[in-house]
Amino acid sequence: MAADPVPMPVPTTEHAAVRDPAIRATRTPSPKGVRWFKELGWRYLVALLAVAFALMPAYFVVLASVSPTATLQGSQLLPREVTTANYTRLFEVTPFWTWLGNSLKIAGGAAIANMMLSAMAAYAFSRLRFVGRRVGLLTILLVQMFPQLLANVAIFLFLVNVRGYFPAIGFGTQLGLFLVYLGGALGTNTWLMKGFFDTVPTDLDESARVDGATHGQIFVRIILPLSAPILVVAGLLSFIFLFNEFILASILLGQEDANQTLATGLYRFIDQNYGQQWGPFAAGALIGSLPTLLLFLFGQRWIVSGLTSGSVKG
Amino acid sequence: MSQQQTAGRGASDASRPAGGPNGRRPSREPFADRLAARLGSNSLTGLFFKLVFLGVVNGLALYAVSTLLPLRAWTPLLVVVVATLALDAVYLSRRTLPLKFLIPGTIALLVFQVYPVLYTAYIGFTNYGTGNVLTQDQAVDRILAGATRVPEGATRFRSTPLVDDADGTLALLLTDPDGDVFLGTADGLESIDEGDVAGEGRDIVVADRFRPLTLGEAQQREDEVLDFAVPISDERAAEFDEGVNAEAISVQTFTTAAVAVTALELDEDTGNIVDTVEGVVYEPVDGVYTAEDGATLRPGFRTVVGFDNYEQVLTSPAIRGPFFRVFVWTFAFAMLSMLTTFVMGLALAMALNDPRIKGRRLTRSLLIIPYALPSFMTALIWRGLLNQSFGPVNRMFGLDVPWLSSQAYAGALPKFSILLVNLWLGFGYMFLINTGALQAIPSDLTEAAKVDGASGWQAFRNVTLPLLLVAVGPLLIASFAFNFNNFNVVFLLTGGGPPIGGTPTPAGHTDILISYSYRLAFQGGRGQDFGLAAAVSSIIFLLVAVFSYIGFKRTAVLEEIN
Repeated sequence: MAADPVPMPVPTTEHAAVRDPAIRATRTPSPKGVRWFKELGWRYLVALLAVAFALMPAYFVVLASVSPTATLQGSQLLPREVTTANYTRLFEVTPFWTWLGNSLKIAGGAAIANMMLSAMAAYAFSRLRFVGRRVGLLTILLVQMFPQLLANVAIFLFLVNVRGYFPAIGFGTQLGLFLVYLGGALGTNTWLMKGFFDTVPTDLDESARVDGATHGQIFVRIILPLSAPILVVAGLLSFIFLFNEFILASILLGQEDANQTLATGLYRFIDQNYGQQWGPFAAGALIGSLPTLLLFLFGQRWIVSGLTSGSVKG
Repeated sequence: MSQQQTAGRGASDASRPAGGPNGRRPSREPFADRLAARLGSNSLTGLFFKLVFLGVVNGLALYAVSTLLPLRAWTPLLVVVVATLALDAVYLSRRTLPLKFLIPGTIALLVFQVYPVLYTAYIGFTNYGTGNVLTQDQAVDRILAGATRVPEGATRFRSTPLVDDADGTLALLLTDPDGDVFLGTADGLESIDEGDVAGEGRDIVVADRFRPLTLGEAQQREDEVLDFAVPISDERAAEFDEGVNAEAISVQTFTTAAVAVTALELDEDTGNIVDTVEGVVYEPVDGVYTAEDGATLRPGFRTVVGFDNYEQVLTSPAIRGPFFRVFVWTFAFAMLSMLTTFVMGLALAMALNDPRIKGRRLTRSLLIIPYALPSFMTALIWRGLLNQSFGPVNRMFGLDVPWLSSQAYAGALPKFSILLVNLWLGFGYMFLINTGALQAIPSDLTEAAKVDGASGWQAFRNVTLPLLLVAVGPLLIASFAFNFNNFNVVFLLTGGGPPIGGTPTPAGHTDILISYSYRLAFQGGRGQDFGLAAAVSSIIFLLVAVFSYIGFKRTAVLEEIN
């Protein structure tokens, strides 16, 4: 399953720019007063406004999660008192940890499985030459243009049918949703990994082969360890995408409360109920945002390095 | 891993080019013996994993076959058998090296992505939806089973509803016109003797088991009692001088019951359902058995209706109008989302791209936060923030603006809100990539332009921007494509609303095609319309295919495959 098609940021080269003597030469001592504002000050103002815009909703959420009144009506700019009542209430009235666990389980499991399936396919496309290789690569690219969520009706009816034969993987089961997510395994990630595998020198394979390694061993012992960065990237992108996935989860998991992911569970909890449930919801939103936020902030370097060396897109 | 070869010979096989004209690896046959000697334990582990893997696969397949066979579910059975045989063949053969790596993902792709897409196209040509859920055979069974009626001159009984206190089952005490008494249960009819009925009036006990329903109970279980029917065998039917069609003694009122006959029959030759009592013929028309006078038999069944769904989208005024709006807004939404985030991101990048500014790293980390949060979460949060009566945005500024629900000017305000939220979600990302792209542009280029007399704007317009677009162009296309199907933001923020008036389908002013299709299928006001939803999805498929074709033609991606 491709992460959202927008790839992660390319690294900025600001340090290079600073180190560039030509730029350093133009670096004059900071001007003063009106001139300072005209040249630099407004830039700080812009940055401040942009940061305020970016963080305002987060501020309101943090505020609401610790405000004593559980309703939206209690919103004010500064909390009069700080309380954990909303958190307590969230855990009382919703199976929040179950939802979070479901999300981590389904998205995490599917991300790892997708990563493995993708890596295997990428190995074949990168290292082997066979009839249909070009067609296969093109097919993957083509199929990727039609995201699964567009076929949501068909997938729903399909799993309803499957339930008739195999209740364990049919409509209303997490295993069914997990399997559906596997359908997106061969996608952009395959291309991403193939690009990376292509950069691993084939001399390594050759010498391993001379030493008697099979393709399976070359794949597991040489290519996978050397490609750890791109595996992490693909896994992370996949995980973030699946953690966010709403449409298939909402139609395939059925109505049972304990069966929901964080996305569908919180939606069902808060939809139509903003007035009453805002406080507990804010608490849940804060906790639920942490996994991807942390992954993103700490994994950013990996993501960036992996993407730039993987030569992703044409 | 399961794809390992079984023995040393496997290695020599693997080292051979796996077919195709491009094989570039030279054969290493001379090394085969050496390889075999060194492989030993390694390939044994490989063999072990492979056997475990295939064992699990075949075990599951056997279970699946044993489930499917008694159900006579031939199509799924075929799929399971073919997939399992394919897996076995690929992993047990030595000639299928590439497939060993490709087949797991390929099976998943075929089953959960390719098949659903094809199935969607098919459903688009059917009437699948509420009222037409069953297959034709199932629908016929339902119709025939439910269709008994009491002909004129049928034998009528005096009847007393009874109940078994032990488990609450109902029964009937029946007296026919000759004065013979019967006990009718859900299992059938049995004659009873005087002795089986003990007691008088309210205290009657029948067959030591049943007592009459009290008035209160009869009211409480009214529907159950009136639906109650005692099946009768052919011999019994003959006793009452009824034809072989006699099906049951069904309750008419609380005190009477009568022999009912099956009135409907399936005419095997024509496929029509015939009412033998009334003499009416029902023909299957678009999934519903319909008589000449327009009377129908429910439930309907799902059937291919050709281009009806597409015709509805294009010609039915109540559907065409909203669909057209959704269609236009989808493009506008994707385009404007892309443009606003790009422009704001670029402007910020240019403003902050000055080496003298301190804290740029921190700023960057803070600005990316909206992009890093789960989008389902932020969409739900913004829905609360923009809530008309409770939302902090209105309360902070003392406003009463219906950000997400205003109907005025075709929902212009909700449209604005949704673009604003999407701007908030995406500008940090655009800021990052634009910063990167700007810094990759050599500064001597713009300086040279200025030396040549270009104004700041001209230098930007004619030098910086074209170079920038080369770098971020593909990402802008990706952004457009992503927003074209950005279900989360639309559905979780506004639910597609506010509703467009005067249409039977659930269309809203902020709906994009994908959310519209979703709501047709799963939130329909007149029931779920899978057929129409799938038709809309298919239209999106076509649009995407056209974009992709144009995109492919414009980029060199096809030539890059080697």
